[in-house]
Amino acid sequence: MTSSRLRSILAGTQTSSALLSLAALPMAVIFVLVIAMFWVSVQKGALGTPSAIYTLANYYEVFADPFIVGVAVNTLIFTITATMVALLFGLPVAWLVERTTLPGKTLLYAIMTLGLLIPGIYTAMGWTLIAHPRIGFLNRWLVDLFNLDQGPINIATPIGMGFVQGLSLAALAFILTSQMFRAMNPSLEEAARVHGMGFAKIIRRITLPLAWPGILAAVIYIFTIGIATFDIPAILGLGNRVYLLSTFIYLKVHPQGAGLPEYGITGVVGALMIVVAGLLTLWYSQVLRQGHRFEVVTGKGYKPTLIPLGHWSLAAWAFILLYALFSKLLPLLLIAYAATTPYFVPPSMEAFKHLSLTHFYSMDWELVLRGLKNTAILVAVVPLAVLLLAFALSWLIVRSRSRLRYLLEFAAFLPQALPEVILAIGALLLALFVIGTSIPLYGSVWIIAIVYTVARLAFATRALNGSLLQIHRELEEAAFVSGLSTARTAWRILFPLIRPTLFSVWIWTALLVYRELTAAVFLAVHDNITLPAVIWSYWFSGSINKASAVTLLMTLVLAPLIFVAWWFGRRSQVSVN
Amino acid sequence: MISIRHLHKRFTVSDGVVAAIKSLDLEIAEGELFVIVGASGSGKTTLLRCIAGLEVPDGGEVRIDGRIVSSDTPPTWIPPQQRKLGMVFQSYAVWPHLTVSQNIALPLAEGLQRIAKNEVANRVKEVLRLVQLEEQADRPATLLSGGQQQRVALARAIAVSSRLLLMDEPLSNLDARLREDVRGRIRELAKQLGSTVLYVTHDQVEAMAIADKIALMQAGELLQVGTPAQIYHQPNSSDVADFFGSVNWLDGEIVAAGVADSPIGRLQVESSAKSGDKVRLGFRPENLRAVDGATQTNGFDGKLVSTTFLGDQFTYCAEANGRQLLGKNRSLPEQRDGIIRFAIDAADIMVFPRRET
Ligand SMILES: Nc1ncnc2c1ncn2[C@@H]1O[C@H](COP(=O)(O)OP(=O)(O)OP(=O)(O)O)[C@@H](O)[C@H]1O
Ligand SMILES: [Mg+2]
Repeated sequence: MTSSRLRSILAGTQTSSALLSLAALPMAVIFVLVIAMFWVSVQKGALGTPSAIYTLANYYEVFADPFIVGVAVNTLIFTITATMVALLFGLPVAWLVERTTLPGKTLLYAIMTLGLLIPGIYTAMGWTLIAHPRIGFLNRWLVDLFNLDQGPINIATPIGMGFVQGLSLAALAFILTSQMFRAMNPSLEEAARVHGMGFAKIIRRITLPLAWPGILAAVIYIFTIGIATFDIPAILGLGNRVYLLSTFIYLKVHPQGAGLPEYGITGVVGALMIVVAGLLTLWYSQVLRQGHRFEVVTGKGYKPTLIPLGHWSLAAWAFILLYALFSKLLPLLLIAYAATTPYFVPPSMEAFKHLSLTHFYSMDWELVLRGLKNTAILVAVVPLAVLLLAFALSWLIVRSRSRLRYLLEFAAFLPQALPEVILAIGALLLALFVIGTSIPLYGSVWIIAIVYTVARLAFATRALNGSLLQIHRELEEAAFVSGLSTARTAWRILFPLIRPTLFSVWIWTALLVYRELTAAVFLAVHDNITLPAVIWSYWFSGSINKASAVTLLMTLVLAPLIFVAWWFGRRSQVSVN
Repeated sequence: MISIRHLHKRFTVSDGVVAAIKSLDLEIAEGELFVIVGASGSGKTTLLRCIAGLEVPDGGEVRIDGRIVSSDTPPTWIPPQQRKLGMVFQSYAVWPHLTVSQNIALPLAEGLQRIAKNEVANRVKEVLRLVQLEEQADRPATLLSGGQQQRVALARAIAVSSRLLLMDEPLSNLDARLREDVRGRIRELAKQLGSTVLYVTHDQVEAMAIADKIALMQAGELLQVGTPAQIYHQPNSSDVADFFGSVNWLDGEIVAAGVADSPIGRLQVESSAKSGDKVRLGFRPENLRAVDGATQTNGFDGKLVSTTFLGDQFTYCAEANGRQLLGKNRSLPEQRDGIIRFAIDAADIMVFPRRET
């Protein structure tokens, strides 16, 4: 029997062995990255060499340092604020879309989902220009108006940064919770209405309790992202010496002035973040599973009765436009303004007279073009790699019968648990101390490509899973039996059927890669700088106007692509989270 | 053509293991139209999939045309592409992004054979005529009705004209008239081409109508294999007898060689059961005959309880000695003073050992 068992496993994987090795590749990368992190965290001395000393001293150092404890507290305040703000905007809008007669839902969908594509750094840069204590125009106006000594609003605090992060995450909160509202059975609410309960009471006693698992899941998900997010805290906080864990480890890796990088400390903080993110993800999946208990299966084409809004529609749209103004419009306008003013002064009629393109002439075009070249390489390579790997993973998860598929499903979920900061630092430590000079990965664009690919895998795999699940396995089997080879079957049967999803995943990945900052900032040295990293280096060195000018250029390229993404996304109905 | 030995297939499901096929042996001769019948979930589809190479068996050996296509000792596995067969899937598996004729042409043009273009067009036209879908040739396959899609699947399988055709309930979605028509054509075509057909259905009438041989499948095993007549007249178990039409069952006991006691009296039977054996006696409704004379062997008196007119015949329910019996005849039995004299031929009585429960 053992021999037949063995044979059946062999036979079953014969066609998929190629796919299996593809699927194993990113898993191996993640595994190695995580190991590298822990490995570096227990070393002192010359890391990665035989003379390194293995010790827990780095851990003692971290826990004994009151500064680091303060940073952790900042991170907590930041993350809680961000989560609350994200839900404050995301949850009501989701409810409005799914449960009321609000007019203009298509537009609303476009605003919210495309919000995911507007980079967080834009919002952060914009809000620096709005509410920075020194240069923020709002503060300058208030100072002038009330004769104050300094600006009353400080965006560069954990709470202020959390607010901006929350604006950026509200789009995600919207998508997560609107799915929940869609899965919730409205007949339970209707039953309550029939039994004479009022609107407020139904919301409080029926809707919210039913929605609670979904909301909690969204909270955990957003919290997990928030706790390790880098770009917004870096733009807003680093220049003002307000640190979160993610920006703190950035400083440990790229110390300012004469300091030396402290990789051991970085390793410890990274390892702790892995543990926290892992636990949160575990909790998330637990809550998600429980949430499914409340989903009452309803017939196809079931439409809940929508709550008529009447005049409240105006208030609802005012709320939505306020959000759009805060999170997208105002920041982008400010960036455009900063890009075209010689030096940043609060907007005024006087200032508008001096608008010019001077920053576009004076920016370091060699640098910008280098960034553009690398970004172009990444946009060309990463989405294709992601598609290939995600397809291999997804096909095995959905189609194979082997028990391996549970492992793969878990593995495909891993990148979601591991924030980009962690992946980036893991890759950095790996390149510096494990691989060393044998493969010249450090400083090349390929190390960035690897991290991006791994980071985007969870989303792509999930989208493809959904799409493959809808295609009956016998459609492929009919082709096999007809004598079509595996490759030909994929080409003639499978790909045409999932083409909309493939395209959607491709364009979303391309856009996210185009705007991605975190990993690039950690890994960019000179040759491999990306366009967002160019913005970052201008910004961090105080050239706010040049940073804005590059941002404006990037946006001009981004806008038509976003439109394409929206157009095709609309047709293929891919959920974006 | 097909030779299967000790085939095993298990599925692991959330709450344990399902044995879908249990040590199954099967021989199908060249050119035979072999029908497998069985209740839902008995493993018919799984068997077909094992033969097609879509399922990896857990044990046993499958040969097609003398060639071992899967075996555990020595480990052998031939992928479905190289098994050179045609298959009609229970779910049709019509490719939704292609038109009807593209569905049929794809295996011809890009399968193992790689047939030339004009030849493909001819072949497509030919099979479309066969399944009466010429007019729908250029329609997207998804715009067809269920029955039409089923015929596309059938046409696709026939078009490759392989020597072995596997059909999983190929007519389940057609109306009665069309079903009879198409099933006649399938049989005709198979005989003309000399193809071997393995045909799965759960309709015993359909099975009887087209089969050279029938196998009854139950819970992953074949209960009996034989010609339609053998299966009908000489079932080897009460389960088989029950599956192919209704049976009047009586509990009895053998009292002497060829004689059994039953609730409706002492009956002559053709059986080798020994005296004292507890048995189950059964006969089919059409074998319950109304007779004149009182001295018939296996004669007994009964009363009519109810009748149903079916157009070409009657079924009726009679009572004899407190037992209800089902009868079937072209005319209603004649009564004398409310009493009918019935008789059953000894050869028509099936005798099976009775398992005490
Ligand atoms: N992929 C699978 N995974 C788990 N169990 C399966 C799978 N395929 C079949 N089974 C189980 O194996 C048994 C046989 O199934 P099979 O589909 O062969 O039955 P069938 O005779 O074709 O039934 P029907 O007439 O309804 O088509 C059933 O109990 C079924 O639940
Ligand atoms: Mg079946």
